[in-house]
Amino acid sequence: METPKKPNSRGIFDWFDPRGRNVGGWGFIINRLSAIGLTVYLYLHLYMLGKLAQGPEAFDAFIETAKTPLIMFGEMLVIIAGLYHGFNGLRIALNSFGIAVPAQRQLLYGVVGITLIGTVVFGVRMLTAH
Amino acid sequence: MTEEKWTVKFVIFRKKGDQPPRYDSYVLEVKPDEYVIDGVERIWAFHDRSLIFAHACHHSTCGACGMRVNDVEKLTCITKIRDVTTNGGTIKIEPLRNFPIIGDLVVDMTRMYAAMDRVHAKAVHPLSAAPLEGEGIRPPREVPRNNGDEYLRLADCIECGLCISACPVAGTAEEYLGPAVLAAAQLQGLKHNPDLLDLVDCANGLWRCHSAYECTAVCPSNVDPGWRIMDLRRQVVGERIRRWFAKA
Amino acid sequence: MSKPHAIVIGAGFTGVAIAHDLALRGFAVTVVERGPIINGTSGRTHGLLHSGARYAVNDQESAIECIQENQILRLIVPDAIEPNGGLFIGITDEDMAYREKFIEGCAACGIPITELSPKEALRLEPNLNPKLQTAFTVPDGTFDPLRLALAFAASAKANGAVFHLYTDVVDLLSDGQGNIVGVKAWDRAADKRFEIQGDIVVNATGAWVGKITAMAGISVPITPTPGVMVAYDKRLTQRAINLLNKPGDGDIVLPQRRMMVVGTTSFTIEDPDYVPVYEDHVRLMMERGANLIPALRQTRERGAYMATRPLIGASAPGRSISRTFKAYDHKESDNVEGLVTITGGKATTLRLMAEKTVDLICKKMNLNIPCTTAETPLLSYRKFYVN
Repeated sequence: METPKKPNSRGIFDWFDPRGRNVGGWGFIINRLSAIGLTVYLYLHLYMLGKLAQGPEAFDAFIETAKTPLIMFGEMLVIIAGLYHGFNGLRIALNSFGIAVPAQRQLLYGVVGITLIGTVVFGVRMLTAH
Repeated sequence: MTEEKWTVKFVIFRKKGDQPPRYDSYVLEVKPDEYVIDGVERIWAFHDRSLIFAHACHHSTCGACGMRVNDVEKLTCITKIRDVTTNGGTIKIEPLRNFPIIGDLVVDMTRMYAAMDRVHAKAVHPLSAAPLEGEGIRPPREVPRNNGDEYLRLADCIECGLCISACPVAGTAEEYLGPAVLAAAQLQGLKHNPDLLDLVDCANGLWRCHSAYECTAVCPSNVDPGWRIMDLRRQVVGERIRRWFAKA
Repeated sequence: MSKPHAIVIGAGFTGVAIAHDLALRGFAVTVVERGPIINGTSGRTHGLLHSGARYAVNDQESAIECIQENQILRLIVPDAIEPNGGLFIGITDEDMAYREKFIEGCAACGIPITELSPKEALRLEPNLNPKLQTAFTVPDGTFDPLRLALAFAASAKANGAVFHLYTDVVDLLSDGQGNIVGVKAWDRAADKRFEIQGDIVVNATGAWVGKITAMAGISVPITPTPGVMVAYDKRLTQRAINLLNKPGDGDIVLPQRRMMVVGTTSFTIEDPDYVPVYEDHVRLMMERGANLIPALRQTRERGAYMATRPLIGASAPGRSISRTFKAYDHKESDNVEGLVTITGGKATTLRLMAEKTVDLICKKMNLNIPCTTAETPLLSYRKFYVN
């Protein structure tokens, strides 16, 4: 009983386990997922910019593949992640100044709402642009 | 209340020493208005004397009997069986997360007690510092003082550890003070306890919180740690700005 | 000379207080408890720090113990106590007939009381039954059971006591001549069995003392007497509220954090290991509690629980047995050396029970070490976990 032991935790898996969690917990899970997604995207983006250095052919070839539905879906995910993470950041910043903490759940619904509207707007623009 | 009887399967997390964990099932006849701890105690009394579990007051004043019931942190002495399962259903009971397991359903909460000590969390408060807001019926806080002495009352926080178990970041940051501890710091206030500033204004203090508000969702004792952490951030920012201007 | 080694069985109120007293008097102490700290009767107490007024008419020995210990505990363990006082209120004419006896009893026991008019009482506690005819202030308090026990355990630990929690005593070790020299233990957390040798074994298992003494072939006259208590989800007073009458069912209502707790009933049983919470008792608590504080009817049940008092004596009706305690040296009563049993008493008198028990042990072992627990402030309950 006296020896210090490892805490009963599954490490980062517990970040993403939604079982038994509430609205705020779901907000946290999506925030973490969007953060990881955006970080991965950042590296992809840098890789794409690297193509520019290889000359116009390489870049054009890349842009062609970027018009495939799979990549377009990926871009939509980036937009969703960016909108959610950004607006949720505003929600948390607001809360961190002690503002509207009891309304954190409603604010989260707002963040999700803005994300959905933004996604639709960008989606329509993306489809009409191509 | 009737003599309604339910048949409920209790699935209990078991672990002894260094042996690997397992789940044992016990089928019990229960009354739906009994509390979860009553079922656990009956399993010990009539089915398996090797089971260990923590409990003491059986009415939510001591904070000993926190467990995860169907994946949600609950104080099992005030959680009715009716509220967590149905007739013929299952109740899964596991120890709290983010603390070392002593055995079966018992965890070692030294981490939390040590941190509570570091912020000098008080066990008894004057009524003026811990008002009974939100009590529906003629709140007794209006009454005159006791022969000139202040009324004292036991703190709301019962140090049950549910909030630390429910916190999604407490598992990956062992040094994180945790919701109960930050709430205790907030309750004392930085204004009157400036020594708490450096303790809470650090990576393992209130900036580790990632606003999942699960602490508030599971708190059985009206502490609302989520709100208190955010309010403490406000206090810290205010105090830092004040000190910066004082220096300039 | 090496320290004498005492093994204390049970970490209820009595066990932790004895461990603290023994450790303070220089004993090496090992506590063996089958569950966590105060998981039995002690944990499931009402939480009333008695002024003694409840017993001032019928059981003055207990009443005097209570008022003295009440004042000591306020000083040595302020961390676990709400010292807000209490009220005895008389509502019916029958209650009023008890008034004179109550005043005399409290005076005889040295319990300071003040009579209030109904108006004054209602000003202090607006949620009282407005039909009250009189009220007396008494120096009651309420305590947090776990933290009270942990403060004693923490202080014992700081003086070297070792606690084996979740460890059953499965048998007593005998020297072959029927004398007790230790215990056989089963650590259920690690599933390990081991033996502990000691110079004296203290059986502080409350309602369960008979189970331990049976291992030495001894029986102790004890009546396990459970009672039901119910907690409601709103705090309606600052003081403990008692009915001005002889002790009965559901005549104490007291605040505990944001709750009110009503207790208790009284009946006798054979085996205290598990006693169900009876629904009719729960209903009775609401009925009786609402007689003192009608607003209780607008609250919701938060918890209902049952605790088994260890009353001394065999099979007499619960309320008529004295609430005092008794320490037995089994050398004197049963010619078994090395075993002392302490039982009876109540939470408020835990320190005194320990003092008397350890006095008995010291006398037995020809040691002349005075008790200092009444003057020694206890450590914070958290020190049980934090070094």
